[in-house]
Amino acid sequence: MTTTRTLTDRYVEAALSRLPGRQRPDIEKELRASIADAVDDRIDAGDDPAAAELAVLTELGDPVRLAAGYADRPIQLIGPALYLDYTRLLTALLTTVVPAVAAAVGLVGALQGAPALRVAGDTLSAALTTGVHIAVWTTLLFAIIERAAAPHRTPPRPWTPSALPEPPSRRLRYAELITESVALVLGTAFVLLSPLVSTRTDADGAPIGVFSPWLWETGVVYAFIVLLVASLGFSYAKYYLRWSVPLAVTGSLVDIACPVTSIWLAANGKVLNPAFVQAAGWPASVPRWITIGIIAVSALTIVHTVAEGIRRARHR
Amino acid sequence: MLDDELLSTHLQELRRGTVVLACLLVLKQPNYGYALLDLLDRSGFAVDANTLYPLLRRLEKQRLLTSDWNTEESRPRKFYRTSDLGAALADALSRDWDELDTALRTLKGGS
Repeated sequence: MTTTRTLTDRYVEAALSRLPGRQRPDIEKELRASIADAVDDRIDAGDDPAAAELAVLTELGDPVRLAAGYADRPIQLIGPALYLDYTRLLTALLTTVVPAVAAAVGLVGALQGAPALRVAGDTLSAALTTGVHIAVWTTLLFAIIERAAAPHRTPPRPWTPSALPEPPSRRLRYAELITESVALVLGTAFVLLSPLVSTRTDADGAPIGVFSPWLWETGVVYAFIVLLVASLGFSYAKYYLRWSVPLAVTGSLVDIACPVTSIWLAANGKVLNPAFVQAAGWPASVPRWITIGIIAVSALTIVHTVAEGIRRARHR
Repeated sequence: MLDDELLSTHLQELRRGTVVLACLLVLKQPNYGYALLDLLDRSGFAVDANTLYPLLRRLEKQRLLTSDWNTEESRPRKFYRTSDLGAALADALSRDWDELDTALRTLKGGS
């Protein structure tokens, strides 16, 4: 009998170890009685005691499953009640934050003149790290919510048909698209013409551009304009094409690349031409405020792009 | 052909709630875990021990069952009994079952 008793002991122990302490003594007494009753029944029917014990425990099944039943604990990581919210948040975060981080890392690397291969490697590894972090922490958060006692959970918002994806009126968004196109053409023209047309001239009468000549020397200004044009292209794509993950990812990447570049340029004092500032006789505080303004507007643009990405992912 | 797995999945779905009703009805007479399992099995409610034992505790927590330890016999056993609340639920569930039965009969008769 010693070995069979050990088997029951081990089974009961395995089940109890996963239960809150205060429930243990009562469940242990009951579980032992139930197992003993079942074993006796089999012995009465002519079974060998050891075989009876083995059969009863096999029938009871995995003690972890039994313990989950006693504790009324889910044996799933994220249940049906939360699964949709979980996938929506995860999709939205992955399609916005990962491209944003990749764009930022890639651009900073490229602007610092690092070798292309290293830039690509850094970008890829940053994207991968960010993706893994987002996946892990989002999953952990939802697993915790799943395990929060049901009474502490707010009841799910009732679904109404008004939650159906409803694209804002096409005309309104078309107006946005037109505005964006006009702004792009005007802005590009202004930037490209700035070295040639200026309110200030140097001693030889040549115009002094308002933007830093560094931008032209390095070709950054052309890269920036390419980004702006690409961003506009994606606005058209989003307007005319159906939402899809690749489109959303690339669109967000491009949309975020522009403000990220602006922040980097402004923070490193690469935007304004020092000669122009001097010629215009601006006090030192003016370039500082322009820098702060560029950074603030760019940051707001990033926030808006991420929020828009999340909204579109949810309403797709 | 109807394969066994498909059949058993749907049977399980159909019978899921009936174990609760059967417990509430049977436990108008106090009884303990293993004997209840045996009784339900013989009454045509096949239920696994690892489902029934946690279920009894859940119903007790919901105040549908009450329990007492009987230590008079050599093996102490926890006896469960349907509470007034449990009896009220059993009535409501039984009525619903009857209505479903009538509705099903009407469906079958009407086709």
